[in-house]
Amino acid sequence: MPKSLIAMTSITYAMKAKRLLNDQGFYCEITRTPKNLGTGCGYSIQVTKPPKEIILMLEKHGLPHGNILINAGG
Amino acid sequence: MINFDNSATTYPKPQPVSRAVQLAVQRYGGNPGRSGHRISREAAQQVFDVRQKAADLFKSEVENVAFTPNCTYALNMAIKGILQYGGEAIISSLEHNSVARPVYDLFRHRGVKYSIARVSNDDDETVRDFEELITPKTKCIICTAASNVTGQILPVKRIAELAGKHDIPFICDCAQASGVLDVTIDDGIDFLCTSGHKGLYGPTGTGLLITNGKYPLSTIIEGGTGATSAELEQTGLWPERMESGTINTVGIMGLGKGIDFVSQKGRKNIFSHESALCQQLIRTLEKHENITIYRSHKASYAPIVSFNIEGYTSEQVTAYLSSKGFALRGGLQCAALAHHSLGTLLTGAVRFSPSVFNDSRQTMMLCREIEKIADKKVNI
Repeated sequence: MPKSLIAMTSITYAMKAKRLLNDQGFYCEITRTPKNLGTGCGYSIQVTKPPKEIILMLEKHGLPHGNILINAGG
Repeated sequence: MINFDNSATTYPKPQPVSRAVQLAVQRYGGNPGRSGHRISREAAQQVFDVRQKAADLFKSEVENVAFTPNCTYALNMAIKGILQYGGEAIISSLEHNSVARPVYDLFRHRGVKYSIARVSNDDDETVRDFEELITPKTKCIICTAASNVTGQILPVKRIAELAGKHDIPFICDCAQASGVLDVTIDDGIDFLCTSGHKGLYGPTGTGLLITNGKYPLSTIIEGGTGATSAELEQTGLWPERMESGTINTVGIMGLGKGIDFVSQKGRKNIFSHESALCQQLIRTLEKHENITIYRSHKASYAPIVSFNIEGYTSEQVTAYLSSKGFALRGGLQCAALAHHSLGTLLTGAVRFSPSVFNDSRQTMMLCREIEKIADKKVNI
């Protein structure tokens, strides 16, 4: 299944996002943000749902996020 | 030794707190929020879970809860973060040094002005006194939710409402209120500061700084946060913004179990239990004309009782009680301002502060020793 990465602004927001998505029955794992996606150290969420749908959900719950990497492998 | 000095720090701690501390050392040794490997992520998950518990207890969002080493740090971060570039502050006449000293330091070195609102036994008077001190330059109002000397409960909601009406950040010291009073961010507090090791039954070295997110806060400590590391600018996002450097995972995991303990017991039940012990003590103290109790029938109190026995300093009384196996705190309890208000700056006061682990029998044994002093049956 294609996976996408969404860079999160902090580990706390990454965990809050993971809990939100898991609670709604979506796959979500936290991973280190790759160099091409963030500015220095950071965490991303790895999702299988189309990122657009996930982004809408994050924004609805006031969870800030960074860049997105579609089809990040896996 | 029977501990009646729980306002300083609760002891003993609940068993699950001890077990969580041990588990943290043994199993969660990674640095949370710093790496992608399993042990770092597992530690981060534990920290997040405790952050969520604290957020639930104080009705906040999880990202608005920052861990600090204690309440004093939380207060310094809030006070100096708001007043870093000057302005005026209003504090209450019952403040602990954790508020009075940073404000005074800002006055001495940063040109900050401050005024002191007199806390009366009448809440209307207290709120009026705060209101009269507000000027166009007032940048924050800071007050304790409950005095660490007398236990007097301040009208926090009304002071918060007043601050909100004037768009002034309100910082509240909840060190003595947390775990016994239902004080939350919902009360209109902009920066709620508390220790984790008192009424929340966590280990020492834990505290919380919680915000409603309404006002930005400058930092007084910057450094590694595990996020946006390529930038020199400190991250703007809570809680990492306020948590530079490695956080106290061990203490935080213990605090999580302390919060569970308080949530399971219920703050109302804890308050009732401890207040009943205070009343038991007061009934004994009131029998003696040579004992002064620092309480008024008009005010409300957290479960703390301060008193003095005529002819003795508070330190003499607490030294005697200590020799008999009772831990109570004498002196000024780091709150000279409050003692100045009480007129006890020279003698200090004997402070009785029970926890959920104290009982009526222990209080009765303490009363007997106090009566021996009051009746001059012992030389101290």
